[in-house]
Amino acid sequence: MQAINFRNDILPLKDKLFRLALRITMNRAEAEDVVQETMLRVWGRRDEWEGMESVEAYCLTVCRNLAIDRSQLKESQNEELTESNANTPDSADPYSLCVRNEQMALIHRLISGLPEKQRTILQLRDVEGKSYKEIADIVGVSEEQVKVNLFRARQKIKQQYTEINDYGL
Amino acid sequence: MDYKYIEQLLERYWACETSVEEEQILRAFFRQKEVPAHLLPYKSLFAYEDAAADLHLGEDFDERILAQVERPSVKARRLPMRRRMMPLFKAAAVVAVMLSLGTVAQHSFDRSRQTDYNYDAYQDTYTDPQSAYGTVSEALQIVSESFQKSQVHDSDSVADTAPKQAVQ
Repeated sequence: MQAINFRNDILPLKDKLFRLALRITMNRAEAEDVVQETMLRVWGRRDEWEGMESVEAYCLTVCRNLAIDRSQLKESQNEELTESNANTPDSADPYSLCVRNEQMALIHRLISGLPEKQRTILQLRDVEGKSYKEIADIVGVSEEQVKVNLFRARQKIKQQYTEINDYGL
Repeated sequence: MDYKYIEQLLERYWACETSVEEEQILRAFFRQKEVPAHLLPYKSLFAYEDAAADLHLGEDFDERILAQVERPSVKARRLPMRRRMMPLFKAAAVVAVMLSLGTVAQHSFDRSRQTDYNYDAYQDTYTDPQSAYGTVSEALQIVSESFQKSQVHDSDSVADTAPKQAVQ
């Protein structure tokens, strides 16, 4: 087995980790912090890289756990809806880059409305193109559970999306 | 054009029965410009996922991470007691060597003043045999006198203690 090199094997995962963290935390700055912390954690355990089945899956797992921790922490310190906060410009929205039009914004909203697990699995499957087995490894549930969660997520998106499109709800 | 295959794939996609490859086919299909009207609503769904896959971190992120990761780390090493005492042992060994060397040197310097047992190397101190004889017999006389004196003294002290023991 080839030796794992941080610069060549771990660092290129940053975008993948970032997208996952962003999907969970829904905040660009938080997600970036999460990725950084993930990298440092993985670096801290570099002695164990050789024994791992998949370093990528390990990184994604660490990233997901950190992101969940962060978002839970954030939930308890929600900002108050005061006058000054209400007037923050839209351009600061972290998703403005990927949300290009109304439809995109709608889909984004729908996916963001899903529970964390479904969101994560949908992200790993439909955006990163991972197999059920890989997702099961990363999330730490059975393949069946992954399928069930993915099914629910896709059904919900489809249902809400068609409803809104057909009836303008 | 027949879109049966795509429709079929889409059905299976919603039921989560498609493989990763089949989903790639779907994605590629919806990526093209012309999509039949009844499938058009789904185009933006797949377009969104494509866009979501295109998010990247800034270039400066690499440098920040590498700066933190590749800085030389100072690791604390655990030293066993023996290793920790090693310098002391060394110092003690050096002192011991110095002391023994000193003793040996002192010993060799002193040897010149010590009694010489090699009689062949003796040199005559008297030229006249008669006076040498006289001196020697005088010396022997002194020795024999002191022997006698001590003998008398010894027998006196024995005689002093013996009656006392008898009385007791």
